[in-house]
Amino acid sequence: MNFLKKILAESGKLFQEGKPLSFAYPLWEATDTILFSTDSQNKSGPHIRDNMDIKRTMFFVVIALIPCYLFGAYNIGYLNSAAMGVSSSVMNDFIIGMTYVLPILIITFIAGAICEISFAMIRKHEINEGFLVSCALIPLTMPPDVPLWQVFMGTSFGIIIGKEIFGGVGTNVFNPALTARAFMYFAFPTKISGDKVWAVGPDGYSGATALAIPANPVEYDTASNLFAASTQFDYSLMNMFWGLIPGSIGETNKLLILLGAIFLIYCGIASWRIMVSCVLGLVFTSVLFNLLSYLTVDGILQSGGTPNAMLTITPLQHILIGSFLFGTVFMATEPVTSSHTNTGRWIYGFLIGVLTVIIRSINPAYPEGVFLAILIMNMFAPLIDYYVVQSNIKMRLSRNV
Amino acid sequence: MLKIKVKKGHNINIAGVASSEILAPQKNTTVSLSPENFRYIKPKLLVKEGDSVKLGDPIFFDKLNPEIKWPAIASGKISKIIYGERRAIKEIIFNIDSDIENDSPNIDEKKLSNKEDVVNYLLEKNMWPFVTQRPFNKVANPSDNPKSIIVSLANTAPLSVDYNFTLASNKDSIVSALINLKKLTEGKLFVAVRPGEFKYLSDLDFIDMVEVEGPHPAGNVGVIINHISPITSKDTVWTVQGHHLPILGKLFSDGIFDPTMIINLSGPVVNNPSYFKSRIGASLESHCKGNLSVDKARVISGDVLTGKESMMNGYLGFYHSSISVIEESFDRSFIGWLHPGGASKYSVFNAYLGGNKSPYSFTTLQNGSHRAFVPIEAWEKVFPMDIYINALARSIEANDFEEMEQLGIYECDEEDVALCSFVCPSKTDVGAIIRKGLDTVYFDK
Repeated sequence: MNFLKKILAESGKLFQEGKPLSFAYPLWEATDTILFSTDSQNKSGPHIRDNMDIKRTMFFVVIALIPCYLFGAYNIGYLNSAAMGVSSSVMNDFIIGMTYVLPILIITFIAGAICEISFAMIRKHEINEGFLVSCALIPLTMPPDVPLWQVFMGTSFGIIIGKEIFGGVGTNVFNPALTARAFMYFAFPTKISGDKVWAVGPDGYSGATALAIPANPVEYDTASNLFAASTQFDYSLMNMFWGLIPGSIGETNKLLILLGAIFLIYCGIASWRIMVSCVLGLVFTSVLFNLLSYLTVDGILQSGGTPNAMLTITPLQHILIGSFLFGTVFMATEPVTSSHTNTGRWIYGFLIGVLTVIIRSINPAYPEGVFLAILIMNMFAPLIDYYVVQSNIKMRLSRNV
Repeated sequence: MLKIKVKKGHNINIAGVASSEILAPQKNTTVSLSPENFRYIKPKLLVKEGDSVKLGDPIFFDKLNPEIKWPAIASGKISKIIYGERRAIKEIIFNIDSDIENDSPNIDEKKLSNKEDVVNYLLEKNMWPFVTQRPFNKVANPSDNPKSIIVSLANTAPLSVDYNFTLASNKDSIVSALINLKKLTEGKLFVAVRPGEFKYLSDLDFIDMVEVEGPHPAGNVGVIINHISPITSKDTVWTVQGHHLPILGKLFSDGIFDPTMIINLSGPVVNNPSYFKSRIGASLESHCKGNLSVDKARVISGDVLTGKESMMNGYLGFYHSSISVIEESFDRSFIGWLHPGGASKYSVFNAYLGGNKSPYSFTTLQNGSHRAFVPIEAWEKVFPMDIYINALARSIEANDFEEMEQLGIYECDEEDVALCSFVCPSKTDVGAIIRKGLDTVYFDK
């Protein structure tokens, strides 16, 4: 260990200001502090500090994601075996799935690291561990059969446009992982639009995702009946909770996502206010829509002349379908791009829930609404904060009088 | 009686709390008065090296406010005046001549009936610098009319002195000091205590008692003001340090300036953390020598959150009443960010297994590298004021005057946000940001 420490200390001298490798200082600093915790001293301010730092904070989010990866890989293999009609062991399914997940993961990290490190060098800021979280999130939002070059493009776009051009972690407006997801959604719609089944299977294997079923019904019925009528996949509430359905790699198993949420809330890293208010917003709007569809079966809210089955999706179904929970727990709570005040966090989360249902139900062209809802609210988060802070200012002004 | 119950905050479980015995420090012949302990003044010396002075004699005055003079904190010779950059006076060191000190208590009792009398008496005696003000945490301006006066006898800072213990025998002088402080304001005189302490004060009808409960920074003057009578851009609130009450009391009742007080020496690397009968500006070495368990130690005048780093041969700051010592560690653990936890890790986040249980030996390690600020709800957890500290910090960084004022910069002080810096995972120095904002609005006025 001491030998390694010495190598780092000696090589570090080459990276100091004015030395030939000074341009790569952020890279050396990152390597150095990943291997050995920093010996930086408290200079100004308090003489003692808490043991929590950004490295550990970000690492904890990655830990919360690991179960989703493991289950995602297993699910890919399981669906594959099911489609081929063969029975296969859990381990075998898992290995098959890993052959899809690992390449996506590796490509994401390569693309992310290239962007982050080169920007850190040019902009002369530290390499922020936040990019690890972005890169860990992106593969989980991908369909398993996504082409790798698209992953590379999407990740680069997300990190650069979503984060670096705004100045890096701490000053970005949009969640980089979701920016990547949105880019791919609109740039490569044939692979990632969300209405065709995202599962790996034999050629010609296709079907409708849970969201696409009520969006494009053959014949009008309530969403629950349509789900029940689906023969290809089991879209019962129970099965959607346990996650043995097609979908993005990380979104399907709701139990693991909830465990991740509990872990992050317990550690004090993610905001429980945002998570709770997202769910409240979603429940509120979907109940409203249920009532609307009940009142106006032949009424106004119809798409293409037939009544809109999307309006009949119950709140619980909304929560379990698609990536709502995944987005709520891991994307909406991203601290930099969400609201920075507690009141703001309630409003921000609530509106994400509302927008999710609106995008899903009113316009069946976009069956998956969560990521759009979060991106839209990322944009409005500063505005929400502005009004929350203004109310504090008004309170203070009234005190002055 | 007003009651304040603070929920947001944190009592840091740091090792080395002083035991309740009062020792005498090793013989020490020098004390120091440092103009650097006072903000926004331009000191001009009235003495030179080698002069003999008596306790309470004027030593320097403020060129911006010439009526305010600073007292000699010892009788004897001025052995050294240390200058810093651009001949700024850093320190005035006195050689104590104990004979003279015991010789001439300059008794001169006075009848003080109103604000003017009290102010003039303190100015005449060169004792005005004991009275400080909020906003800005500086020596008060005698011509101001403070909205109220507040004294906090509830010390919540880590390893700070327990006033209930150190001031136990000073009942008469405390009452005398409070009687005269009340004359300084037409408003109220608030005295903050912890439940069940200083019971005799509640019999005094001119005092408004405030009972403070909760974790640090509940006992901070800034936090208490924010809860009971928030200041605006036009107000000032005056305050006096709890440990200075006996000194002021003796001054009012007997006319004597007695610079002795009880301080504590504490911290994880102190062999025998305890209280000392010491004095203003005492030498740190006389308390620490032979009492530290490590060679590389940072000796701090004040508490570990807001104190001033000092060399071993440094001195106690004018307003400080404790000496804290922590180890200077340069330990680098292998992949430290993966550490599972245990007794060696302390965090207000639930990020380590089984931490925070036993008193923790903090060192000077920053425990992480500085990073861009990520607003997970860390600051808000430990900041019990109705101020959006995050928005305020942003407005200061953006140098937006108006917004700083609107968001309550006048109500904050560095010490109130020290815990925010302590918990911040990005290792931001929030206190420095607040001080920058205060400086900006101060020099703009």
